Amino acid sequence: MSVALKSWRANEGPKHLITMVWIAANVFLFWKTFMVYFSEAQYYYLHKMLGLGLCISRASASVLNFNCSLVLLPMCRSLLTFLRGSQRVTGRRVRRLLDKSKTFHVACGVTICIFSVVHVSAHLVNMVSFSVRYSEDFPGLNVAQYRGQDPRILIISTVPGVTGVLLVLVLFLMFTASSYCIRVSSYEIFWYTHNLFIVFYVILMVHVAGGALKYQSNVETHPPGCLHNNLSSWTNHKAAGEKGAESSGAPQTVCQEEAHFQPHFPQYILLNCPSVSSFENHPFTLTTCPTGKNQTFGIHLRVLGDWTSRFSQLLLQQSNSSEILPMMQQRRYPTVHVDGPFGSPSEEVFNYEVSLCVAGGIGVTPFACVLQALFDDWRQYKLKRLYFVWVCRDLQSFYWFADLLCGLHERLWRDNRPDYLNVQLYLSNTQGLQSISEERYRFLSSRLRIGRPKWKLIFQEIGRANQLKRVGVFCCGPKGISKALHTLCNSNPHTETAFEYNKESFS
Amino acid sequence: MGKIEWAMWANEQSLAAGLIYATGGIVGVAGQFRGWQFAAFGIAAGVFVCLLEYPRSKRGKGTSVERTGQYCFTVCVNAFGPLTRNYYVRAFLHAALCVPGGFMLATVLGCVCLGIASLIYLSAAIHGEHWEPILPRTEPPKRVGDSIKEPPQNPPPRPPPELRRKKADKLETAAYDNPMSVTVNE
Repeated sequence: MSVALKSWRANEGPKHLITMVWIAANVFLFWKTFMVYFSEAQYYYLHKMLGLGLCISRASASVLNFNCSLVLLPMCRSLLTFLRGSQRVTGRRVRRLLDKSKTFHVACGVTICIFSVVHVSAHLVNMVSFSVRYSEDFPGLNVAQYRGQDPRILIISTVPGVTGVLLVLVLFLMFTASSYCIRVSSYEIFWYTHNLFIVFYVILMVHVAGGALKYQSNVETHPPGCLHNNLSSWTNHKAAGEKGAESSGAPQTVCQEEAHFQPHFPQYILLNCPSVSSFENHPFTLTTCPTGKNQTFGIHLRVLGDWTSRFSQLLLQQSNSSEILPMMQQRRYPTVHVDGPFGSPSEEVFNYEVSLCVAGGIGVTPFACVLQALFDDWRQYKLKRLYFVWVCRDLQSFYWFADLLCGLHERLWRDNRPDYLNVQLYLSNTQGLQSISEERYRFLSSRLRIGRPKWKLIFQEIGRANQLKRVGVFCCGPKGISKALHTLCNSNPHTETAFEYNKESFS
Repeated sequence: MGKIEWAMWANEQSLAAGLIYATGGIVGVAGQFRGWQFAAFGIAAGVFVCLLEYPRSKRGKGTSVERTGQYCFTVCVNAFGPLTRNYYVRAFLHAALCVPGGFMLATVLGCVCLGIASLIYLSAAIHGEHWEPILPRTEPPKRVGDSIKEPPQNPPPRPPPELRRKKADKLETAAYDNPMSVTVNE
């Protein structure tokens, strides 16, 4: 399997570069702090008392500081949206890096867990050393009150000890609830435990108070090794605390509301419905973005879990009533709070000359916004050709956006650009004879294929038709499809065409 | 809101707690701390908890994802029957195993984490959950329809059966056999 260098460089290069830089920063911090405590004069006596445990614990603490300050940044949605939206500040390469923010967050989190284990083990050894090697020569250096004091008392009686235990417990709760299985089966456990990060940071600020590790402040007059008994004060060592922080049922269009924002397309919003649950915010991609002519926005939501089923019940219960209200239709829709809009990787569709959009099932929602925007005015964008592949399990799913697709096709045909939009629909459920029989959807029924798409052939066709161009590949669907596309982007046989891979995920 | 499966979270917690318990025990024994016998017990208890908790239970509804290579552990754990199936037993077992860890410095954290896992298991047991093994399904393979083995009786062209019905009065001139009986005036 040959690797297409141009595509590989565009897809994997920046990611690996940032990973290398981050690992190098961690290694540098660890090494530098280790050497400071190992060989610096001001820590000489402390080092003699505690040994290697001191160096390892402080070095891992500096790595923990670094990662705790970084771990919150990839999760700042508004900051990411701002960076994505500003055309002058960032180029496309940087914006594509922002798509990997969740992976970076996970990497920092795992590093925090690993180095916490190292840090705690080293401090346990330190506790025992403080107790066993109680120093009568330098009483200011001691944390224990007498030789042989039980180290567990040291943990309970010092501020760093107690806060350290609490930090480990909070980290334990957060870490165990964030595995893939728990996120898929009960997202609430993950969400509520992960919001304990506020408690984690507050305790972290307090953790460094108390000054258990001291450095010598008069190294010039009393160099290490000298046995003069006139010692001046031991200053508390304050380490700088860094501040760091969807099943069955057709989707239903919801809430055409007055909009007060000018988004790029497409984006997602967070919905909170207090009558369903006061704490849960759920992301939904906008399928209808507000434009100059129409200042409303809309979403499509698929009823899969308990929040969405309860929400849809609240919305639909009006239509079930059989009373006829002649004077005024009293519709009491539930109040909905909206947060956003936040940027998503699919915003880049318009910045390529040729784009391939692959949607799996409900993953079509980001691209519905793209199609809607093209329908309103396709001329103003850099995009010259759009390949749209939609894979579904049921035939009924294609009806969600059938009107939009047919409308766009007619509009492009009237404007004499029939080659702009290239639609392929795939029905992966091969049981029975299925076809779209309505007359007005003839455009779709002739493009419907039964069976799974053959990605290699599709890539070959696109590569041949668009040589020497950069094709943006956008995928929103199940893991199998996105993995296959990612591999094909990096190893396609058409080395003149570069395929840049962008993935959007919901969870 | 909604039905939360506590047992799944408790399973992840106890697996992590077992690892923490064992690591603390190793540190304690390696450093020859005072009370290192408790640390040795911690290693054994941690490893036992890890082995017990490695096979995931089958979910109440939805797809269950196995851990890699968990089949042999599933068989072993399943062999103990109601002892391992019941979560009350597991909760009390973890509570009992974690107590000796509190007597020694290095295993204190393992003790606390295992205690929390034991509490979550108690909550799972109160909600009526129990452990189900994930065993591979032995379904009979899909049977191909029998008609596929018989060659077609009619010469081509062969329209589908519903179009093959001919009017009863034209039976003599019909070129096809009628798989369905026809009557006049239908």
